[in-house]
Amino acid sequence: MEILDKLVNVALIAATLRTTAPILLVALGGSFTTKAGIFNIGLEGQMLAGAFFAVIGSIWTGSAFAGVACGVAAALAFALVFAVLVVSFRANEVVVGLALNILAGGMTISLMKAIFGTRGSIVGHGIVGLPKVQLPGARAVLGSWAPLISGFTPIVYVAFIAVPLLVLFYNRTRLGLYIRVVGEKPEAAEALGISITRVRYTASLLCGLLAGLAGAHLSLGYITMFTENMSSGRGFMAVAILIFSNGDPLKVLWGCLLFGFADAFSLRLQTFGYPSYLVLTVPYVVALTALFALSYRARPKIITETLASMQRLLSTDKNIEPGGKHPS
Amino acid sequence: MVSNALGSPTLHMKAEMAVALTGITKRFGAFVANNAIDLAVRRGEIHAIIGENGAGKTTLMNILFGLLQPDEGSIRLNGEETVVTDPAVAIKAGLGMVHQHFKLVPSLSVADNVFLGMEIRRHGLIDHAAQIARTRELSKRFGLQVDPTERVGLLSVGIEQRIEILKVLVRGARTIILDEPTAVLTPQESRELFQTLRSFVAEGMTVIFISHHLEEVMEVSDTVTVLRNGKKVATRPTAELSKDELVRMMVGREVSFDRRPRAPSRGDVVLQVEDLWARDDRRLPALRNVSFTVRSGEVVGIAGVAGNGQTELAEVLSGLRPASHGAARLKGQNLAALSPREIREAGLAHVPGDRMVRGVDRNASIAANMLMGRQHRAPWSSSGVLNWTAISENASRLIKDFDIRAQGPGDAVKRLSGGNIQKVVLAREFTNGADFLLIDQPTRGVDIGAQEAIHDEIMRQRAAGRAILLISVQLDELAALADRILVMFNGRIMGEVAGDGADEDRIGMMMAGVAAPERAAEPA
Repeated sequence: MEILDKLVNVALIAATLRTTAPILLVALGGSFTTKAGIFNIGLEGQMLAGAFFAVIGSIWTGSAFAGVACGVAAALAFALVFAVLVVSFRANEVVVGLALNILAGGMTISLMKAIFGTRGSIVGHGIVGLPKVQLPGARAVLGSWAPLISGFTPIVYVAFIAVPLLVLFYNRTRLGLYIRVVGEKPEAAEALGISITRVRYTASLLCGLLAGLAGAHLSLGYITMFTENMSSGRGFMAVAILIFSNGDPLKVLWGCLLFGFADAFSLRLQTFGYPSYLVLTVPYVVALTALFALSYRARPKIITETLASMQRLLSTDKNIEPGGKHPS
Repeated sequence: MVSNALGSPTLHMKAEMAVALTGITKRFGAFVANNAIDLAVRRGEIHAIIGENGAGKTTLMNILFGLLQPDEGSIRLNGEETVVTDPAVAIKAGLGMVHQHFKLVPSLSVADNVFLGMEIRRHGLIDHAAQIARTRELSKRFGLQVDPTERVGLLSVGIEQRIEILKVLVRGARTIILDEPTAVLTPQESRELFQTLRSFVAEGMTVIFISHHLEEVMEVSDTVTVLRNGKKVATRPTAELSKDELVRMMVGREVSFDRRPRAPSRGDVVLQVEDLWARDDRRLPALRNVSFTVRSGEVVGIAGVAGNGQTELAEVLSGLRPASHGAARLKGQNLAALSPREIREAGLAHVPGDRMVRGVDRNASIAANMLMGRQHRAPWSSSGVLNWTAISENASRLIKDFDIRAQGPGDAVKRLSGGNIQKVVLAREFTNGADFLLIDQPTRGVDIGAQEAIHDEIMRQRAAGRAILLISVQLDELAALADRILVMFNGRIMGEVAGDGADEDRIGMMMAGVAAPERAAEPA
């Protein structure tokens, strides 16, 4: 019990919200492209570029918010290239996404080398991190529970407020509706004079915007540094969550919270001296298990049919009737 | 925009002719799809355009609606010369078109689909309540029963069509074009559609209705225009026409749907179905206590409104769906113990109801499609290697035998017309030496010429001693071909009538589930 108390407490939940924020943002960004019918595997690269250029911007301008703006601009540039290739030139979205991911990885490393002459990470150099927002009165009202709503960086708030906004966006705005229509039934959009190209560009850029914010959160949020491959698969995790949630903001939120919780939990476990290699796999194992469990119910028809016919085969093999398979 | 969603009557009341086409010609390369066609549609009438597949009906309507540009000719809408450059022009002039293939978004509600592209908004947000209220109002007014709040993905094709009609109404159409509207409907739904069409006319609207079904044209239209091979044959008031005349104008030769002559035959029982039960995809009972036999040399027809268990019956018999109770035996072998391939090898040939899904691979060649199901056998392959020479020669022969209009065995199936695709399926299934033919909707969406050829072929198979189970929603088809007709309703067999001199009224009663007259004694 004591161990459990030490593991699960307010600090853990606050940490969960903190670690959920970047993956939530990038997944919500991906929700735009998913809903618009684009399989965007390039989230990872957009996020990484956002993280790197947020640090660069912060160093150059001395302002965290200008840094965030630089990060977002870089992610938008990636998103634009993605959209040009995929939407206008109809290139394969997986190939383009992967290429941009590789580009982002390689580019950040070589720029790091060129600008700072180092490999591995950028620390110091006057990076300005994002301020933490202390909500006035939070402590007075919630007492020791205050860290649940107060003391996060602005991007964390943006991430969580974005969820209801996206729900509203998809259900009640014209652009949100058109994004869904373009993704689900492009020929219907076409017949009604909705420009598929324009809607998909818009969705891609909205995606870049949120992915850039997510990246900026990584490098300017709670640690102010950039390291190689800093996004460490969060973009891919977001892609997985998107596939299983079909881009629905609420389902995305649950998926991301689960991942964020596992992430925060593993950080906590490390302090207890468990082998770090194993501990680091926790969030991924938890997320994958949950996704598998979730998707098992919604598994595609072809799998259901295969399983059903296998079952049928097995059951009929057991009780072959005399007049059946082997008439003799 | 919404307040005058049904158009202001004053605007369109001037001219007597809602639509007048003059000398419309459209060529696709060397092929003349429309050849100097004149068409005048009076305001307030239901005008049917009838013709075989490929007669140019859809092309003409696409030109009228601005989806295609004519090479020659002119269009007058409401008396005004109009160049219909794109559908937006046509919609503005009060035209609306319900296409054969629906373009609805499954995850959206009915009302959202109806108003898609012209949403009602309040404070910049979509006003769902107003859209639902407006949809409900329109659906009541014209007898188009839908629940505006339901998701389209859960609805049947018949209801989807109503939504498409509502879409057109909301956009202010006064002249509504329907392209083969009944092809996807059950007889009941068709009747409801016809009532809706009449309510349009009662409100002063005009309906143009494309079809190749004689009965419904006779039933619902005021005027008929017949097209054949891209030319107009005639425009006549429906009341002055007989069905025979109409057929003659359509095909240019006599076609009869009369009962096919046959030699009496009484063979052995090939298929025996006993107390068969099965569930549908929603796990609800779809077949209940179904029992019947099919003997060699006889055609047993299954009649019924679509969706009363016929599909599930075909699936159980072909091994695609498990039975929950009871047994079907093909020449004594219990089908439940066999895989689909084993059932085929035990003597089943299957002409599936949906040929594009289960009948052919539309992207593959004719030769490949004719090979399917026997690719593992000599002479088509040996040691796992396909013998394309034999496959191709066989396909060429079948193309000739079954009179398939194609360039050759290498032609992709998707380039063929519906009737020819069906002949590809028949050619494959009828030549694999099976004793039992399971034939589901053989002439759905097929033109009259091809229908006749398909019926001839079925009768030849009967004469050759095959046992045939013919599932069809067309009563005249069953009356022409079947020796006995079983009527299905709600998963049960309601009764049996002899195919010879089949009493349509009695069948109709059973199809509606009203009465279950005593079943004729089964031949022992």
